[in-house]
Amino acid sequence: MSDQLRNRVMLAVALLLAAIYLFPLYWMYITALKTGSSMFATPPKFLPSEPQWGIYAFVWESRNMGRYLWNSLVIALGAVSLIAVLGVGCAYVLARYRNVWVDIGLFLILMLQVLPASLMITPIFVGFSQFGLLDTPRFAVILAIAAKSMPFFVVLVRATFMSVPMELEEAALVDGNSRIGAFFNIVLPLARNGILVSAILIFMQAFGEFVYSKSMIQDIELQPASVGLNSFMGPNTNEWNNIMAYATIYVTPILAAFILLQRRIVSGLTSGALK
Amino acid sequence: MKRILASVTDGKGFDIGLVLLPLAFLFIMSGLPLVYNVVMSFQEVDMFSLGSFVRPFVGFKNYVDLFSQPETRPILLNTALFVSSSIAGQFLIGFGLALFFWMNFPGASWLRGLFLVSWVMPGLVVGAIWNWILSGDFGVLNFFLRETGVIEGNIFWRSDPNYSLWAVIIANIWLGTSFNMILLSVGLSGIPKDLYEAAELDGANALQRFFTITLPMMRSTIGAIIALGLIFTLQQFDLFAGITSGGPNNSSNVTQYWAWDLSFRQYDFAKGATISVIMIVFVMLASVVYVRSTRHEVRG
Repeated sequence: MSDQLRNRVMLAVALLLAAIYLFPLYWMYITALKTGSSMFATPPKFLPSEPQWGIYAFVWESRNMGRYLWNSLVIALGAVSLIAVLGVGCAYVLARYRNVWVDIGLFLILMLQVLPASLMITPIFVGFSQFGLLDTPRFAVILAIAAKSMPFFVVLVRATFMSVPMELEEAALVDGNSRIGAFFNIVLPLARNGILVSAILIFMQAFGEFVYSKSMIQDIELQPASVGLNSFMGPNTNEWNNIMAYATIYVTPILAAFILLQRRIVSGLTSGALK
Repeated sequence: MKRILASVTDGKGFDIGLVLLPLAFLFIMSGLPLVYNVVMSFQEVDMFSLGSFVRPFVGFKNYVDLFSQPETRPILLNTALFVSSSIAGQFLIGFGLALFFWMNFPGASWLRGLFLVSWVMPGLVVGAIWNWILSGDFGVLNFFLRETGVIEGNIFWRSDPNYSLWAVIIANIWLGTSFNMILLSVGLSGIPKDLYEAAELDGANALQRFFTITLPMMRSTIGAIIALGLIFTLQQFDLFAGITSGGPNNSSNVTQYWAWDLSFRQYDFAKGATISVIMIVFVMLASVVYVRSTRHEVRG
């Protein structure tokens, strides 16, 4: 078998595997475009005969998606900013030194990374309500997400700082920079890409966050899109085309961002989680 | 004063400040809740005492009550089944895909990365999609199974107590496979190629090469991935909220959903805290395994 033929066969199999794996996504997009009756047809149609493009505008209006997505955006941006401000410095110090204290710090951070949100929400909810933080529920959710996701961010960004040669920083110090000057002028710009990719990953997580928002935000005006989707799916719903349209509007921006930045995200993710 | 200021801008104080601020934040937002959780599990907490710090201590009553409830045993068994089948499914399918994409061909790495979309999607959206795919009368999965002759009649994945947990497991395997595959690919690419060349010269066939080179070389990666899988499956909450809500009649309930359900549906915060404590101890043990297996890599 020639090399070219082998490559073609492999690629065909790979495409087939990807198609099978991504079928649920395809099914979401297709279901959203179906009419109420063709949705329940047997056998199911794999291409909608009369795509209902108007459904997106309809769902956007009727479910008030603008407000939900705005709240998701506020929560995700707030959490990412807080995590970036606090986490970058922490990651930098943990990458720069090697001693017992750094090991202890890393160990604590890795341990905090694994705490399940649905188990932490009980004490967080009770504690926050006692300190009155639940009066500003979106802020409370931002704090909780920041605490949950910062360890992961620190681990990823630390891997980036490890790849910045220390000699460059030392040279800047010899040239008369202060530590702060060297950090902001030399180290940070060199690690910019890695920090950005990690921040995007954290943003995607926070944009879809559910447990904390569901538990702490009672006011429907302040709820994010994940909670909105949950209340849309009643136990005996049959509006699946509308639900899938909601899901489409919700995930398409995330998917688009992911596909554009795929290579960077995958390499950033793997460098931090495992080598 | 001036000395401290100078140290913060230009000395050790700079590093210490950078590290202490986030650690203090994490201590307040994660460390204190952990302690508070343990405290609450020994207290009587109801809607009236929720706002006060002083609550009656009841010793191990919450723990005793919890284990005398009839649903505790089935839910613990469900959790064990959910975790073990999810990890097995994710790992085996992920390993198979990783091995396939390891054979170099044009477009392999891009296509492989594409699989990760399942992992970046909001968990609740994944839950919604699978809820619809697994629907009893009109679900597309039942259609495929019927067409291929695997089943005769429709399976009511979400409402049949025999299948409801499997509905969530299927969705969770789909969700986690891509992550397993990517990490396993990284491990595979770290194995030196000349090992295989040498083995081939010695006449080892593909199967022998897999068991004598690939598996032993991947041991620490596999250990880390299994531990990570345990951690991630115990964090899985959104799929339960999106597909079965733990029902019908707790047949698909697992501890991490049950803890939330007790606190926020039945307002029994003490019991919720009690399960949380038990499970957090368990997760921490798993994470020690994970941290140990990645230690040399993380230290760099």
